[in-house]
Amino acid sequence: MGLHKLRLAAAVPVTFSSRLFLKPFTNTLTLGLFSRHLQPRNKPLLVRAFSASAAVQDIPATQTSDSSVAARPLWKAAIDFKWIRDNKEAVEINIRNRNSNANLEAVLQLYENMVNLQKEVERLREERNNVAKKMKGKLEPSERERLVEEGKNLKESLVTLEEDLVKLKDELQHVAQSIPNMTHPDVPVGGEDSSAIRQEVGSPREFSFPIKDHLQLGKDLDLIDFDSAAEVSGSKFFYLKNEAVLLEMALLNWTLSQVMKKGYTPLTTPEIVRSSIVEKCGFQPRGDNTQVYSIDGTDQCLIGTAEIPVGGIHMDSILLESALPLKYIAFSHCFRTEAGAAGAATKGLYRVHQFSKAEMFVICQPEDSESFHQELIQIEEDLFTSLGLHFKTLDMATADLGAPAYRKFDIEAWMPGLGRFGEISSASNCTDYQSRRLGIRYRPSEPPQTGPKKGKANLPATKFVHTLNATACAVPRMMVCLLENYQQEDGSVVIPEPLRPFMGGIELIKPKHK
Amino acid sequence: MGLHKLRLAAAVPVTFSSRLFLKPFTNTLTLGLFSRHLQPRNKPLLVRAFSASAAVQDIPATQTSDSSAARPLWKAAIDFKWIRDNKEAVEINIRNRNSNANLEAVLQLYENMVNLQKEVERLREERNNVAKKMKGKLEPSERERLVEEGKNLKESLVTLEEDLVKLKDELQHVAQSIPNMTHPDVPVGGEDSSAIRQEVGSPREFSFPIKDHLQLGKDLDLIDFDSAAEVSGSKFFYLKNEAVLLEMALLNWTLSQVMKKGYTPLTTPEIVRSSIVEKCGFQPRGDNTQVYSIDGTDQCLIGTAEIPVGGIHMDSILLESALPLKYIAFSHCFRTEAGAAGAATKGLYRVHQFSKAEMFVICQPEDSESFHQELIQIEEDLFTSLGLHFKTLDMATADLGAPAYRKFDIEAWMPGLGRFGEISSASNCTDYQSRRLGIRYRPSEPPQTGPKKGKANLPATKFVHTLNATACAVPRMMVCLLENYQQEDGSVVIPEPLRPFMGGIELIKPKHK
Repeated sequence: MGLHKLRLAAAVPVTFSSRLFLKPFTNTLTLGLFSRHLQPRNKPLLVRAFSASAAVQDIPATQTSDSSVAARPLWKAAIDFKWIRDNKEAVEINIRNRNSNANLEAVLQLYENMVNLQKEVERLREERNNVAKKMKGKLEPSERERLVEEGKNLKESLVTLEEDLVKLKDELQHVAQSIPNMTHPDVPVGGEDSSAIRQEVGSPREFSFPIKDHLQLGKDLDLIDFDSAAEVSGSKFFYLKNEAVLLEMALLNWTLSQVMKKGYTPLTTPEIVRSSIVEKCGFQPRGDNTQVYSIDGTDQCLIGTAEIPVGGIHMDSILLESALPLKYIAFSHCFRTEAGAAGAATKGLYRVHQFSKAEMFVICQPEDSESFHQELIQIEEDLFTSLGLHFKTLDMATADLGAPAYRKFDIEAWMPGLGRFGEISSASNCTDYQSRRLGIRYRPSEPPQTGPKKGKANLPATKFVHTLNATACAVPRMMVCLLENYQQEDGSVVIPEPLRPFMGGIELIKPKHK
Repeated sequence: MGLHKLRLAAAVPVTFSSRLFLKPFTNTLTLGLFSRHLQPRNKPLLVRAFSASAAVQDIPATQTSDSSAARPLWKAAIDFKWIRDNKEAVEINIRNRNSNANLEAVLQLYENMVNLQKEVERLREERNNVAKKMKGKLEPSERERLVEEGKNLKESLVTLEEDLVKLKDELQHVAQSIPNMTHPDVPVGGEDSSAIRQEVGSPREFSFPIKDHLQLGKDLDLIDFDSAAEVSGSKFFYLKNEAVLLEMALLNWTLSQVMKKGYTPLTTPEIVRSSIVEKCGFQPRGDNTQVYSIDGTDQCLIGTAEIPVGGIHMDSILLESALPLKYIAFSHCFRTEAGAAGAATKGLYRVHQFSKAEMFVICQPEDSESFHQELIQIEEDLFTSLGLHFKTLDMATADLGAPAYRKFDIEAWMPGLGRFGEISSASNCTDYQSRRLGIRYRPSEPPQTGPKKGKANLPATKFVHTLNATACAVPRMMVCLLENYQQEDGSVVIPEPLRPFMGGIELIKPKHK
């Protein structure tokens, strides 16, 4: 759809700002019109980790230091610059609280420059129109010649300024897209340690025998094969085998049936998407440290979560208010490079390149997003309680939020074999962060409050929807929990009751004897 | 594992054969030692289409005319002696299968390779003799002569050994395009020559105007191609509502049925090293490839679970008692469908991503024919249980991919599309894949011949046979189910075997908003 071509569009030339000599808009012009003069950008913009815990990883500097060659953005977020300008202090504090590398100063500077340049362009257009108007009447030849010359000059200036305006807008987009969503006032300020416990369910099971971790159980019960996968695919890939295959299917089947009862529409999704969709959802598909696998020779990549293709379904559309809320439960395979992930937290099934996941996604009116956030976290808690897990729900602290999230609840479950709590789900309210990028609006059904304006007389103005996403079942981490928590002294593993009807009645995974 | 580096290994220099001046092995040397002198290669080697029907597509010439190919990353254990000793049969087989393999080049290269190997061995012996001579007492002039002779021999040897490596690489490259031999019962000819093995059921007669699956999918809010076109591209789709449950039910039911026959269920990686794709007989590169590659790595997406399952036992020697290994593997499959166009590509019939349950068998050579029968029987039983009207075809020679010794396709009646469409394929690949994947077994009975020195009583290893067969390719099953089970009111009946796997749903009804 033409996207591929644009990707290679001309870079902003280094000598560019020298052309903007016409009018020193502000005293800061000496700093340059473009943000690259304000501060060298050596961190990737708009980085969002798939996993909560990865958000506090030290993000290595990528080689974007040559910031003058930023390609034209393929799409534009409908960022509310006026709001940002009018709420400068709040935005600044938010950026700081969230440990974001967004450059608000540069955004405001570029925005001011853009507004001024836009005014200048409008002024010149008016002047040109005046000249054109004057030329319609009878004129002395010398006067006509003067006007022709003036018109010509104006046109040339205009062409130059309009080009500059386009580039300035592109630059503004590029810099402003790194500004994170605002934060719910109840979210604790600080790093991971500051996250507040919303709820704690159950208690760690006490074992009267030496326990195994899921890797050992997977090997002993012939359920998981990492070794063959390392040869065939690479490390952190795996085959599921025997009852583990049935357990995956049961988990997904049961989860879907439970969540559908709450009015969620089941989906399966494409797992290859255009990279622009990945960006619009707030992920970074490129760069050395990307979590995203790209397809060779195309502008497509593999999804890291079904949130991406589901977010894309209603892209660039105006929904009827009566169609809201839209609630989906989507099953997909997910693919992640896990670049930079290393250490103990990566053992076995805990961190893998490919896995199955059922993801909930809600599109709603702004005033409803908080209550849907509660609904989502409640569904998660109910699911994990039904499976008998010991877990705690965390209201994640500011520094632990990805750029799109206004608020995020993570659930961490007890994994006795690993001897720690591990994240098994994440529920985020993204308010209008994604919808402003994906272009998802709705038209309120009530008549507009203000009097009728000219033009679209009685149609109320469109608004951006809010989007929310939440893990219903990330299979490998659920398997870690189930295998490690339900192991028995004889090496077998008990299947939790809710899953049994979805596994042909199997109650126990027993050691195989050859 | 070092594979990535090798990919960029030096190409064979054009001036290379000029070094091979030492000894004119045969009169054909004037033709050049390397096959590129025999015939320009302008067709991709070793092309295998995932789909049977694609095998008869006209394969466009890719730009591989520069035959200075990179070093192969792996070697197939091709039985060159057997090929040489069965030259006529191989030649006829290549012709029957409409293959572009160049047997003449293979035999020529093989002969050159054997001769060069002999020459290398001769020089090694000579060098050893010289070294031996130098151990005794010698006149200084004689010693000097021997030193000089040894030096010359060493230099020649280095050169010849390098040449031998390159010659072996070239031989591999050319020989890998030779297709598997063909079962004697397979009809010779193109698609029209395929023989019907069995026909089940009859086309349902409708008393009302019928819809195709696309229309049904839209009316029942089951399939969304439009959003997928925006988000991903054409030929991608979302399943929605009951279609999601139907997919799960199909896979669940299929797995449970096939597991009853002793097949071990698997899920597999869907990203694999491209060498594994090649070893299974698919071509992961080139303009016309069906394979999606991952940017910046030597990995690609699987087009079928046959690939990762074939890879499980790669480079291993299995115990005879471990055979047969029977797997039923569920995976998503990804295909570029490059070059596929036209009516056969409508709706769910040909898509870039789909779910599939695939059977895979590893067995002793003498058992592969009976397992082929078992596989086709399982397929027929599954599709009969779902009430489909279908026919099983013994595919003709020109319709076989390179790995298949014999292939049975099942084509089912799709009333909305108004034609039969392929829904499964069962291939016996004999030792074609195992010679590439390096899967052997050690027979348990003692060797027939007397004890040799070395590994005294261990019987020699043999290559296993591999077979693969579709148990359930979801989108094509959906085409069949939606189109065959549609009702006059626009609803679709769920076949009975699937209902327990769909929470008891019996009917997909139109939604009312």
